[in-house]
Amino acid sequence: MAEKDIALMAHLMRRAGFGASYEELEARAAKGYEATVEELLHPESQPAIQDDMLMRYQPQWVSKAGLEGQQEEWTYRMINTKRPLEEKIALFWHHIFCTGHAKCEYPKQQNIELDMFRTLGFGNFEELLMGLSRDPAMVFYLDNCMSHKEAINENWGRELLELFSLGVGMDGDANYSEDDVKEAARAFTGWTVTNSIPRYPYGKYEAAFIYDPSDHDYGEKTFLGETGNFNGEDIVHIVARQPSAARFVARHMYNFFVADEPQVPAWQNTPPRDPEAIKMLEDEYFRSNYDIRSMLRVLFNSDFFKNAQFEKVKSPTETVVGTMRLVGDFDMPRPGMNAMTLTIRYMGQDLLNPPTVEGWHTGREWIDSGTLVERINFTADAVGDTSHRGVQAIINRLGSQGDTISSEQLVDGCLQLLGHYQLADVTRNELVALADSEGELRTGTDEFGTRVGQMLQSIVATTEYLFE
Amino acid sequence: MVTATRISHVQLQYSHTIGRGEQFGPGFTYPIHVARGEDDLMYVLCRSSEYRPEGTRIAVCTVDEEYVNAFARGVPQQGPHEYNFEDGSLVWPVNVAISSNGTVYVSDEWLHRISMFTRDGEFIGKWDENVGSGDGQLDRPSGLAIDADDNVWVVDGNNHRVQKFTPDGQFLARFGGQGSGDGELDSPWGIDIDSQGNIYIADWRNDRIQKFTSDGRFLMKFGSSGSGDGEFNRPADVAVDKDGIIYVADWLNNRLQFFDPDGNFCGEKTGEATVSKWGKDKLDANPEMWEERERAPGLEREREFWAPTGVAVDEDNRIFVCEGPRNRIQVYQKQALTFMGPRL
Repeated sequence: MAEKDIALMAHLMRRAGFGASYEELEARAAKGYEATVEELLHPESQPAIQDDMLMRYQPQWVSKAGLEGQQEEWTYRMINTKRPLEEKIALFWHHIFCTGHAKCEYPKQQNIELDMFRTLGFGNFEELLMGLSRDPAMVFYLDNCMSHKEAINENWGRELLELFSLGVGMDGDANYSEDDVKEAARAFTGWTVTNSIPRYPYGKYEAAFIYDPSDHDYGEKTFLGETGNFNGEDIVHIVARQPSAARFVARHMYNFFVADEPQVPAWQNTPPRDPEAIKMLEDEYFRSNYDIRSMLRVLFNSDFFKNAQFEKVKSPTETVVGTMRLVGDFDMPRPGMNAMTLTIRYMGQDLLNPPTVEGWHTGREWIDSGTLVERINFTADAVGDTSHRGVQAIINRLGSQGDTISSEQLVDGCLQLLGHYQLADVTRNELVALADSEGELRTGTDEFGTRVGQMLQSIVATTEYLFE
Repeated sequence: MVTATRISHVQLQYSHTIGRGEQFGPGFTYPIHVARGEDDLMYVLCRSSEYRPEGTRIAVCTVDEEYVNAFARGVPQQGPHEYNFEDGSLVWPVNVAISSNGTVYVSDEWLHRISMFTRDGEFIGKWDENVGSGDGQLDRPSGLAIDADDNVWVVDGNNHRVQKFTPDGQFLARFGGQGSGDGELDSPWGIDIDSQGNIYIADWRNDRIQKFTSDGRFLMKFGSSGSGDGEFNRPADVAVDKDGIIYVADWLNNRLQFFDPDGNFCGEKTGEATVSKWGKDKLDANPEMWEERERAPGLEREREFWAPTGVAVDEDNRIFVCEGPRNRIQVYQKQALTFMGPRL
């Protein structure tokens, strides 16, 4: 197996999933790149997580009554899923279609929303927007239940256009007007949710979306240049066929899966980093009738994707989940989930509770002096623990090369087994010098494992390791 | 000619609901199991969660919902690998049983520990924590039952077997083993012992109940995967009353099913919960919630079971069903049996 194939597979698995062990990368590379892409695009071909065992040992995950439990449960799924793109696509849409725990009637409603992302998230964008428009968590979060025919609340209408489908503008022009926001809000009057059963004494119950025809504004509306007695479905239908919708989805996909883009508010006046790539994705959006899976297929098989290794700063979720998958920790439910999951929050990403409806700013904005320390401490602790199954596998593999290995073999071997990471020459040379200073590397000794662990810790503390 | 008499049906009458969600005082936090003590006392094992360890406890109350006290608290975590597992603490408590002298036994499926407390909650001791698969070793112990001689039967979940111990934890016997054949078990959970000393196991991942003699000989099984009558979706617990009626907490089917002594389906309950005494106190203190309840559609959902994990039956034929996600216990009263037999 050519190492370049394994390196490319490592890139694919980091982006379409949360990374993989070297052994898994070898197996997948043997299967082939395009075949792996197809498997990832069809998660139903792989076994689902065994929910019964999960809920037996973490029974509070049944009710998902609190943010911590919700975060633990999702994180566990991301670590252990055999359907990595299913969780990654849920994370992708959660980055865009944010709802927040801070304004949520019933936390489990957000998990129901995630389930929608896992299924509709691969399909037709118009259907996904319809699902979102009827999602009780979103209806409540963006106040559409407070929007009435005599007194509209523009919140949902505005964010649908600004943050969920079109964006403020593109190529220097606005994508919609204030009037379009108001008309969209009018069209969505009557789209509401049932009243909630109060939390005492037995906890909340799922809300249901309902359409209240008596509270709908049946008057004529003009929206994005079209006029009619529009209801919410019509608005979504018109939105989905806009060129700006294709641009919006394409840029988000590029930013999440390929390489860091400027933040969303800048998109009106800042052209895409790779206009040709965006054009390919836009074309596929219309060719496939807004099919997300088709767009992802084009993306993962493209040269622009394959050539974008280490062009993207890992999010806190990708950092923590990827590290746990690498070292093989939390592969069974066990105590410690809460502390582990909290590190994602401390690194700046409070899953299911984003700072605003705009979600998180990504790329280099993940990193500040505080979150950097959290990242390095967490990853270094994990890879330095030689009792972890994944770390042991790295030690054993490096140790199988002979009675001794060179410092170069140690550094390059660790980089390779972490997923073909690349360091600047100056950094690599420093690590080789560091290994040299520690003396001869005799395999099969306890000291060898310790030194491998220390080298892994040094690598994950580099600037390069912040990227994927 | 003598004609066998057979039980035609069993009537369960809803009695009342006990509980509300609380981390302290009157109320429960994810009650996973319950044992009946003397004088109408109930020992309710609250699992709670890792992020609210203060809610992990044994709450003691009466069947009439008078709060008594709580003991055996959960363990605050210090980090992913750091715990203070001091005596009497609980991490993943899963089952509670009470011996004839009032000793309260609690299994902990993370610590692989059986802890003992007095009826008043004073820590007595714990068995040797000897994780493994050898005789007397435990791997994720779950269900507990006490036999007429006060021996303690422990469902050894990850070893897919059942072990018998003296009251202070000396190994006596074992039966089971992983599999789906007669007498084999797959991740068993709950256990109970009938008046004849026979043992019933909630054979969790095999979606069935199995019955054994007290020396571990297979007697019968019933149930299969599904949601129809007599089918199960991961049965978590089993209880047998003095007439031999078998009650099963049908966990992911959100119901209680009950069977005659031969394992024939008699009926099911999907829940009839009402506002408990503690619940009413809470709502009275937050009167706007009474109004919200008036407005909320679908309030009838409040009656339904959600993921029941524990079932117990007492000498008065009262059945107690724990619903962790709803922080409550629904109580039912078995009515007099109706028999179909030869005309007199």
